Amino acid sequence: MNAPDTNQTPAVEVESLAFAYPPGGVGEPSIEVLRDISMRIEPGSRLGILGPNGGGKSTLIKLILGMLRPSAGTISVFGCTPDQARRDGLIGYLPQRIGADLDWPLSVEQVVAMPLRATLKPWQKLRNEDQASIDRAIELLEVDKLRDRRIGALSGGQLQRTMIARAISTRPKLLVLDEPTLGVDIAGQQRFSSLIDTISAELDLTTIVVTHDMRALVAVADRVACLSRSLHFHDTPEGLTPAVLAQVFAHDIEPILGAVHIDAHTAADCDDPAHAHHPDCGYNHKHKGGAS
Amino acid sequence: MSIFNADLLPALLAGLGVAVIGAPLSVFVVLKRLAFIGQGVSHAAFGGVGVALVLGFAGSSAVDSVMQSVIVLGFSIGAALVISALGRSNKGRIDTAIGIVLSASMALGFILFNVAESRHDHDDHGHAHGAHSDEHHVIEEILFGNIANANWNMVWVTIGTGVLILTALWWFRHKLIFWSFDEPVCAAYGVREHRTGNLLLILLAIAVVMAMQVVGVILAAAILVLPGAAALHLSSRLRIVMIWSIAIGLGGTLLGFIVGDGAGWPIGPSIVLMQSIVYLVALGSNKAMGALRSA
Repeated sequence: MNAPDTNQTPAVEVESLAFAYPPGGVGEPSIEVLRDISMRIEPGSRLGILGPNGGGKSTLIKLILGMLRPSAGTISVFGCTPDQARRDGLIGYLPQRIGADLDWPLSVEQVVAMPLRATLKPWQKLRNEDQASIDRAIELLEVDKLRDRRIGALSGGQLQRTMIARAISTRPKLLVLDEPTLGVDIAGQQRFSSLIDTISAELDLTTIVVTHDMRALVAVADRVACLSRSLHFHDTPEGLTPAVLAQVFAHDIEPILGAVHIDAHTAADCDDPAHAHHPDCGYNHKHKGGAS
Repeated sequence: MSIFNADLLPALLAGLGVAVIGAPLSVFVVLKRLAFIGQGVSHAAFGGVGVALVLGFAGSSAVDSVMQSVIVLGFSIGAALVISALGRSNKGRIDTAIGIVLSASMALGFILFNVAESRHDHDDHGHAHGAHSDEHHVIEEILFGNIANANWNMVWVTIGTGVLILTALWWFRHKLIFWSFDEPVCAAYGVREHRTGNLLLILLAIAVVMAMQVVGVILAAAILVLPGAAALHLSSRLRIVMIWSIAIGLGGTLLGFIVGDGAGWPIGPSIVLMQSIVYLVALGSNKAMGALRSA
């Protein structure tokens, strides 16, 4: 295992990526979720991925994690394939919903140790350095007082911190958080973003935060990518204008406001004439006198 | 008559062996909610026995028994994998898949028993009546177990299978626990969900076929549920839960032999009854401890 030079290679490089789920039934078309996505995420940056429900956010990160295979295009994570990066423990992942079975008689420490244990040969014990990074993750997430507590006996916040500790237990270089602040109040979001600050600085992490919550995004990210089937915008959060947001969330807004017609069409992607006919651009839709 | 007499010794050893196989698996079965899959698999095995009989493997010679076991095992493993694949493709409606596989296998098994029986009648007119009651006795043994007649071969097969299953559980323990605990995420850490899930199902199917020899088709799944269900009331440490589960499996089996043999009850159902009582005791003690703590 030779670790790639994380200061030069991009953390994530996505080129002409497309993904479609196979048809739901015989004769049905396959369901296109992502098309023509290209982006580069610099090491140490914090990317927020914003987009409507069903816009392909979770699919994109599952592709980056190697849990799905692209239909077209390529993804590299620190210069490796997602599979290789995952095998080397370079990626940590916090899922959108905690789907773990909390009835299991497992302690916080056992849960945090799971990813590293899963890489062991049956007869091996955890190496000292692995135990040390498990201890470090537990300390950073401030669950050290709970390390022997049963996983089912935690509060929601404690459980989430435990799951983030699990995500960073393998000393990853990239941390992927899927909707981490869903249902969390403002105070909780602020605590959360300062927590992410701390662990990113400590571990020299690149982070990807997926959300449809604008407030959470601005708090955590220094780069934003707007995703609604294709990539609409990729820049600093200051560049996010109402027009861009109206485009990205066109599908969510249309039932309420009617088709969104935007005169000041700022997003660079949609200025491209070839792109302007894209159904997600909100341009070519039935103009039934909506907000203009 | 004592259970320690030489006649019953192979039965006792085979029964205890199956308890040791079933107990650690039962913890996974309870936590991963596979109890009903166990039912589906054991009933599918009944279809397998029917197929074996129609093909002429009645278990009367050593080769016959081996062939019968291979067919039954194939049926059970196949059923487990079909159930899980149907469950996956049918938006997780695994109970529908189990319901279909279970009843279809029972129907197939019973029809094939009758086909084998009528063929037997045809071949052998003189003993038609005797053959009839024989067949029904065979069905009863398959449904409710026939452990009292176990021989030393059964003991060796149980030991061999036990070593195989326990080694596999130990070998893949980290992956199996990760998958069972957090199936949606384990793939992100290199634990292949389908492969790991299928491994557990195959081990479960083999254990069900072993359990069938002791308590029969109807009760086989119980051995793969009760010890784990009871043990989970007694500790919140996985290691201790596993130890409790094995102790309860062994204790319940031993009690089943003592009570069944003493009262003249069939052994298999006695074992399941004793394990059920242990389960109730564990549940009660857990509730009592909870009440004490909150008082």
